[in-house]
Amino acid sequence: MSDHTKGTSQQGWSRRELAKFIAGAGLLASLPAGSAALAQGAKSVNLAMIGEPQTLDPMASTADLVSGIMMHVYESLYTWDADLNPKPMLAADMPKVSTNGLSYEIEIRKGVKLHSGRDLDVEDVIASLKRWMEMTPRGKAVAASVDKMEAKGSHGLTISLKAPVPALLTHMALPSGYAAIMAKESIATPLVNFVGTGPYKFQERRPDQFVILTKFDGYSARSEPANGYAGKREAKIAELRFIPVPNPNTRVEGVVAGQYHFAEQLPVDSYKRIASTASIKPLLVMPYGFPYFVLNTKQGPFADKKIRQAYQLALNSTEMMLAAFGDERFFKATAAHFPKASPFHSEAGGAAYNKGDAAAAKKLLAEAKYDGSTIRILNSKQFEFHHRMALVMAENLKEAGFKVQLDVVDWATLVQRRADTNLYDVYVTHSSFLPEPMLSPPQLGVGAPGGWDSPAKNVALAAFNAESDPVKRGALWAKVQEVVYDEVPYIRVGDFAALSATSAKMTGLVPMPSPAFWNVDLA
Amino acid sequence: MLGAIARRLAGMLAVMFIVATMVFFLTRLAPGDPASLMLGDQATAADIAALRKTYGLDQPILVQYVLWLKEVASGNLGQSIFLQRPVLQAIGERAEPTFFLALFSILIAALIGIPAGIASAVWRGRHADQTVSGMAMLAASIPSFWLGLLFIQFFSVRLGWFPVAGYGDPGAGLAQRLYHLVLPATVLGIVNSALITRFTRASMLDVLSEDYVRTARAKGLPENRIVLRHALGNALVPIITVVGLTAALLVGGAIITETVFGLPGIGNLVVSAVLRRDYPVIQGALIVIAGIYVMINFAIDVIYTLVDPRVKT
Repeated sequence: MSDHTKGTSQQGWSRRELAKFIAGAGLLASLPAGSAALAQGAKSVNLAMIGEPQTLDPMASTADLVSGIMMHVYESLYTWDADLNPKPMLAADMPKVSTNGLSYEIEIRKGVKLHSGRDLDVEDVIASLKRWMEMTPRGKAVAASVDKMEAKGSHGLTISLKAPVPALLTHMALPSGYAAIMAKESIATPLVNFVGTGPYKFQERRPDQFVILTKFDGYSARSEPANGYAGKREAKIAELRFIPVPNPNTRVEGVVAGQYHFAEQLPVDSYKRIASTASIKPLLVMPYGFPYFVLNTKQGPFADKKIRQAYQLALNSTEMMLAAFGDERFFKATAAHFPKASPFHSEAGGAAYNKGDAAAAKKLLAEAKYDGSTIRILNSKQFEFHHRMALVMAENLKEAGFKVQLDVVDWATLVQRRADTNLYDVYVTHSSFLPEPMLSPPQLGVGAPGGWDSPAKNVALAAFNAESDPVKRGALWAKVQEVVYDEVPYIRVGDFAALSATSAKMTGLVPMPSPAFWNVDLA
Repeated sequence: MLGAIARRLAGMLAVMFIVATMVFFLTRLAPGDPASLMLGDQATAADIAALRKTYGLDQPILVQYVLWLKEVASGNLGQSIFLQRPVLQAIGERAEPTFFLALFSILIAALIGIPAGIASAVWRGRHADQTVSGMAMLAASIPSFWLGLLFIQFFSVRLGWFPVAGYGDPGAGLAQRLYHLVLPATVLGIVNSALITRFTRASMLDVLSEDYVRTARAKGLPENRIVLRHALGNALVPIITVVGLTAALLVGGAIITETVFGLPGIGNLVVSAVLRRDYPVIQGALIVIAGIYVMINFAIDVIYTLVDPRVKT
């Protein structure tokens, strides 16, 4: 029995309430306009989310929905600024890193209050990081390189590594399956007491109805100006209500009607309506994510690099993105895997991207002696844009002389089948945009679906992962990207944006991958 | 009578056992794995295997079946993999909106469907009949999600009379929660009234051509009395059947309507569980729904005997 779920007691009803309902039903016509009739207190906001979070434990799931809510409750040692660079949050400053990259000395901010009222100390941090390294996929990956974590006084932490982890701070800052710092006495699995340091504290969860967070009066804010998730955080709204609204059209209607102050991940075809409604405004986050196709490099036709290259040549990414997202405002077909502001921005290898050259693909297929084996495109209609891209992909491939078959399944089936290289030749998926190459897609790591493993990959990635200097890492990433375009283990189709809408009265919401509602106010 | 009821109850238990067995094996036959879904694409094979072990999914399917059946027999429907709470609790938390939605929908459907069907039969072949039949056809053809969105557009966004979605603000009393059900119940009521209208019409037409109705007319009884007392009373059995079965279906969760109106009901729970392959929730919810279905069928049979003494239990 989970004791973080209240509310069943409130489900009871009485004759008096029933009488109220009947009277209310009779007086419907005399009610004022709906949004006014349903208005909240001035300082609470209704936030329409895409669904019910499967858990509120930020380490038990990598779902953005979970971290999008709980990042208001739990903070991490480091977080992202507006350009997605790691910046200190609970850490007092950036760490002191030894010249060999094997030791990180981190000073934890003093005077930070936990929601229980106690001061945060290094024991809470160590207990939380240990849990992160035991529970989460990314934490486990980091743990493999961690020798030990030691407290130095009440607020000093030393992390000793067996091998350099250049992306350590990015891993710690990533708000997904994240390194949330929690009160050590609250740590349990399953997590039932949510005691963090964030500007909001957990109040109530009623499954499929809402999660309520309320302002934490004892919050200890940083002094730097707000920048992305970094800098000063201030809870200006007393109560945040995260409401699951799975139907995207209902989210649109709800925000238009004024029932919701914010609605996330809206259909792109609702943009015009949102933009032309005076009481709300659209919010675009670009890049929000990227669709990609993973090729089965282990067996079948795509085990042959030349056939994979022919496949790449045949694809028209712009057509696929148009089919998926409808309007160029919502996507960007780009060969670069990282945007211009990123140290990893590079066009290396990009000559092979978005060619849509059926003739050249045909020629390469002939050279590779393609035997006409069927290419099975595994995709799911559960993500409509995946399926639309698969349809265009199939046409591109047919034109180039491939024999294709669309295997359309639900997402759960796809996730299971992609682990078995007997069952597909290519599958369609997508990822959130993350600022560090090693965070996504997983094909850059070891043992991911598709089975990509080659000497060129291993050499390029070994050099990249051994380097700590950000400038040098940028150049080394260009080499990895070149290998990706040459060996075609996956096709990164382009970037797409997320469309949200907010009440016109809402101020201070910055376009970040997950919307953060500290520093946000209602005018 | 008691013996007959006992036999029916034994039959119900047998049905429930068959349902439980079918639900278990059909759920496991579908491809997909909750552990892979829960851990995401960064998880290693070892992580997935460990999680499968935690939930006993690594055991042979027959072992899983026997263990689960034992738990069900003791009243424990298991623990949800994703919701991290007992299945019964998860169902209980969502029972109220689904129950009231079903109740109001079936009331609205019956209030529309039975008078419309009677009118259609009484004025057979006339404008009233054609209008009612046309409207029933339209109601049966309209997808409930489309009608729902149309109602939201008109009554919520344009007129502002009703909330767009949800089941009330935190701390809302029953009146406010039920107020949120007005639009979805009306949508479901309209859609489901079509079948009731058609059945009522057909049943009334059969009865209105019976000799005793002709005799009643020959005796000079008022037409109202003939239709409402003599004909309707005898036409009720099939109408009760269709109303009862529609109610049973609605109690199982009006999945699409719940999704469109963002209602925290059982339909939403089942759909989410299927998409996530949350086996305990799928199995538990379907058993509860099947149980309700069987109970309503039983109640219909009992009502038959009250309405028509010729019918034996």
